[in-house]
Amino acid sequence: MTVYSDEIVCAPRAGTLYDVLELILDRGMVIDVFVRVSLVGIEILKVDARIVVASVDTYLRFAEACNRLDLEHDSRSKTVPELFGGPVARTVGKAGAKRTARSLTDKVRDVLTPDQGDDEADDTARDDADDALTERAARPARKRRSDDDRPRPRRRKAEED
Amino acid sequence: MTATAALTTAGTLGTLYVYGIAPAGIRTPRAPGVAGAEVRLLTEGGLCAAVSDAPASVRARRRDLTAHQAVLGELLAQGPVLPMRFAVLTPDAQALCGQLRSDRAHLAAQLDAVRDCVELNVKGTVVPGYFADLVRRDEALRALARRTRERPGYEANVRLGEALAKGVAREARSAARDVLARLGPLAVRSVQGPVDDEQVLSTSFLVRSADEERFRQAVAERARAVGDRLTLGVTGPLPCYSFVDAPYAPAGR
Repeated sequence: MTVYSDEIVCAPRAGTLYDVLELILDRGMVIDVFVRVSLVGIEILKVDARIVVASVDTYLRFAEACNRLDLEHDSRSKTVPELFGGPVARTVGKAGAKRTARSLTDKVRDVLTPDQGDDEADDTARDDADDALTERAARPARKRRSDDDRPRPRRRKAEED
Repeated sequence: MTATAALTTAGTLGTLYVYGIAPAGIRTPRAPGVAGAEVRLLTEGGLCAAVSDAPASVRARRRDLTAHQAVLGELLAQGPVLPMRFAVLTPDAQALCGQLRSDRAHLAAQLDAVRDCVELNVKGTVVPGYFADLVRRDEALRALARRTRERPGYEANVRLGEALAKGVAREARSAARDVLARLGPLAVRSVQGPVDDEQVLSTSFLVRSADEERFRQAVAERARAVGDRLTLGVTGPLPCYSFVDAPYAPAGR
């Protein structure tokens, strides 16, 4: 499993492949006398990589955290880090939400992040984007069991501004 | 589709995978290319293209995406480069050289446009934990939270949670606008990438190499300023993927 640094990243870094995926796949020069191979499944892969957390699961998590807040006193609730599962209040929320989104985003990251070592067999299996898609297909069914309605992560657009 | 199929099966018959185009006279990248193939340079009319024998099929494997990126990284380290998108093939060396020749002026102008520049990609994600500050600050949210406590229930929790989720996303987007306003003047150009409710900022900046440090410091400074609402990350220096025009690409790209 990939471990993330949740601190604010200021130092120079090459970036994980995930960070530059859209650049490599969507930007860059295309000259039309050349041929761009159609990458089957890649559109789905990209969409999955950015499917968002805004599901009922997430909402309930927010509500739970909020219900533990002390609404009457202006002090930080100690339960927030606990709920989102991390040591530092300011960044744990991110970790928690990521966990909610683990189904897709992290799966794709796991597949694409080149920090898994070079174990050949493992690499070959994880290497293949299609494997991520297979995992994805299995996911909604599992989620459905835990939620009564609207269980799937929805593709959401920036709709508020 | 048939053209693609023909090309991919012709992998051993001269089809080349193209990484990027650079001024002639550079060193051949040492990094292995896609599918482990050796990378070589084809030179024509003052330009050269980094290529390797095309594999029988190209898929977006981690290893191959990384190889594409690594080859371009070596080219970038030596000077301006026009990075090709992943999985671009040319039927053979002759077609490629013909293209370098016929499109020479345009390609040279493109190289000039990115000379001494790098691409820095800045992404920003929502900090969900900020909801607590929102509740303390926003009377309406606090009232909703109180009502939910008094009449708990599934629907009430969903409503409250949704309001909070939208609130932190809105705050993060507002922080992202602030970040863009501060970073814009430090860059030559910028191009926005896809955003959504979690990743509310994804913008590539064309930055002069001489200004890279200054740009990074500005990102770090903004990261501190908006860190309670928006987590910032910067990736680069990258080949200028977002700042090369695709002269003959179909419209809308």
